Amino acid sequence: MSLGIVLLIVAFIASSLLGVYQLNWNDFLLLFKSIFDGTVAVNPTDAYIFFDVRMPRTLLAIIMGAGLAVTGTSLQGMFKNPLATPGIIGITAGSALFAAVAIVLGSTIKSFLPEILHYSLISIAAFIGALLVMMLVYSISFKSGKTHVVIMLLAGVAIAALAEATTGFLTFISKDDELRDLTFWRLGSLGAANWPKVIILFTINLICLSFLLGNGKALNAMMLGEDNARHLGINVKKYHAKIIWLSALVVGTSVAFAGTIAFVGLIVPYILRLLLGSDYRIILPLSALFGSLLLLTADIISRTTLAPIEIPIGIITAFMGAPVFILILLQFKKAL
Amino acid sequence: MLSVNQLNIHIKNRKLLQDISFNINAGELFVIIGPNGAGKSTLLKALTEEINYSGEINFQQQSIKQWTTARLAKTRAKFSQHHQQDIPLPVNEVVMMGRYPYFANRPGITDLKVVSESLKLTEMSHFKDRSYNQLSGGEKQRVHLSRIFAQLNNEFQEKLMLLDEPLNNLDIYYQHKVLKAVKVFVKKGNMAAIVMHDLNLAAQFADRILLLKDGKMIKYGHPQEVLTSQTICHVYDFPCKVMSHPLAQTPMIVFGEEKSASIIQNIQP
Repeated sequence: MSLGIVLLIVAFIASSLLGVYQLNWNDFLLLFKSIFDGTVAVNPTDAYIFFDVRMPRTLLAIIMGAGLAVTGTSLQGMFKNPLATPGIIGITAGSALFAAVAIVLGSTIKSFLPEILHYSLISIAAFIGALLVMMLVYSISFKSGKTHVVIMLLAGVAIAALAEATTGFLTFISKDDELRDLTFWRLGSLGAANWPKVIILFTINLICLSFLLGNGKALNAMMLGEDNARHLGINVKKYHAKIIWLSALVVGTSVAFAGTIAFVGLIVPYILRLLLGSDYRIILPLSALFGSLLLLTADIISRTTLAPIEIPIGIITAFMGAPVFILILLQFKKAL
Repeated sequence: MLSVNQLNIHIKNRKLLQDISFNINAGELFVIIGPNGAGKSTLLKALTEEINYSGEINFQQQSIKQWTTARLAKTRAKFSQHHQQDIPLPVNEVVMMGRYPYFANRPGITDLKVVSESLKLTEMSHFKDRSYNQLSGGEKQRVHLSRIFAQLNNEFQEKLMLLDEPLNNLDIYYQHKVLKAVKVFVKKGNMAAIVMHDLNLAAQFADRILLLKDGKMIKYGHPQEVLTSQTICHVYDFPCKVMSHPLAQTPMIVFGEEKSASIIQNIQP
């Protein structure tokens, strides 16, 4: 726990200093001081880079990483399977699909909508997409209290294929600026971070995580099966509904702000399980911390390795996640 | 007291249970016996609302439907016949689940104490840090029994323990061990309903027996009343003889045909 916090602070400082425009440790201290003491003089370019570029991006990575990892862990608990994460069962894809449709059709629909919805159109579409896929996968893979793993995974494959085809089609027919947006969706990037996004995601994730992080006991009890969990006073249906809605909200908002960043929800719980066992009372809160750490690290890698070019962060997380996916499959083979 | 009145269960025109009525009094160990498909497990499922039923079930003078899940979790526990095989947790954490109704996030001192007492009850203490998944079938079963005992370890009165074939994978030693522990639990003013196949164990431990066949009550009463050769031979459709257990002085049922040995000899050339 404390190790995670220390690592996160280190990554936080690294993230605010590293980049095309270099800041050093003294700049950091100076800028940090200036937050509390208005009289400290700082270089305006430094201040702009630090407060308006790096800071929102860093915070967005931290908040989003926590959200994605906790939803991943929660879904694994609900579906009783380490592969049941937003990416693999198609929730991210469905969310991106709806967001893509909203981008392309956005200009047409916008005139019919009240102004307040214009900015959040993509987010709302992404949330609806996430929720619909979640409910679809849930209803077809849950039968009389049992999860049908194969069906669950195949549903994910089908939805991802559909989303891929549709986004491909939309890319083909869309105008140039929309097209740029779409590529960003498909590979994921935190490059569009700004303070309003940080504040919105922070509010949403704070609410959702405050409800999700306390579910450790319930997720453990579900390992006994639905009826036995109920005999322990756990209202399984209520927890399932809670997980479905809140996860859709977290994933939808994240997709709306940063596109599809794959595998965060898969890698973090996997590593935590490996190190600490499967007690959700332990790994659920820790996955928030290590999710932040993972996404922030991935973002630093994405914008520093080939600077000034940014590698989409989805590619970085996919490079980390794919081996984990394969390892989980190998474990399955052993269990069969 | 648990009272069941005119319980009926049917699924798609098939009657699983018909007009079942009985009482379990505080301090009673109640055993449900009967051949395969008699509806024994279904009856326990009705008592835990895992299946739709018509009729009345009153628990402590109140319809069980009016009880809240949280309150039931502290006064009623069930051991299911089929267990999840894959629970990637250490043994003591599985038993700790029995204490989930009692704490919010972290187990208290009482919870830890109860878990270690419950592990002792089934002699699983030395397995407490082992992974549940590595245990044998019988050991897993003992873990769940410990979990049930942990769940009902509290100050409440007239608690109900429901056990669906808890002895299946256990050897003679643990069969008696578990039944004795249940007996001790019951004698404190609680109730237990156990589904089991071993009639002799039922005869030794039960205060009352319910005999079911094809969803109907065949007999209900004290072991001596239910376990007569006429009834048992008829219900199980197998020749048997009931005598007195030389050690326990309870009814003892012996199944088999007198000349069965000679029949086998005749088959061999």
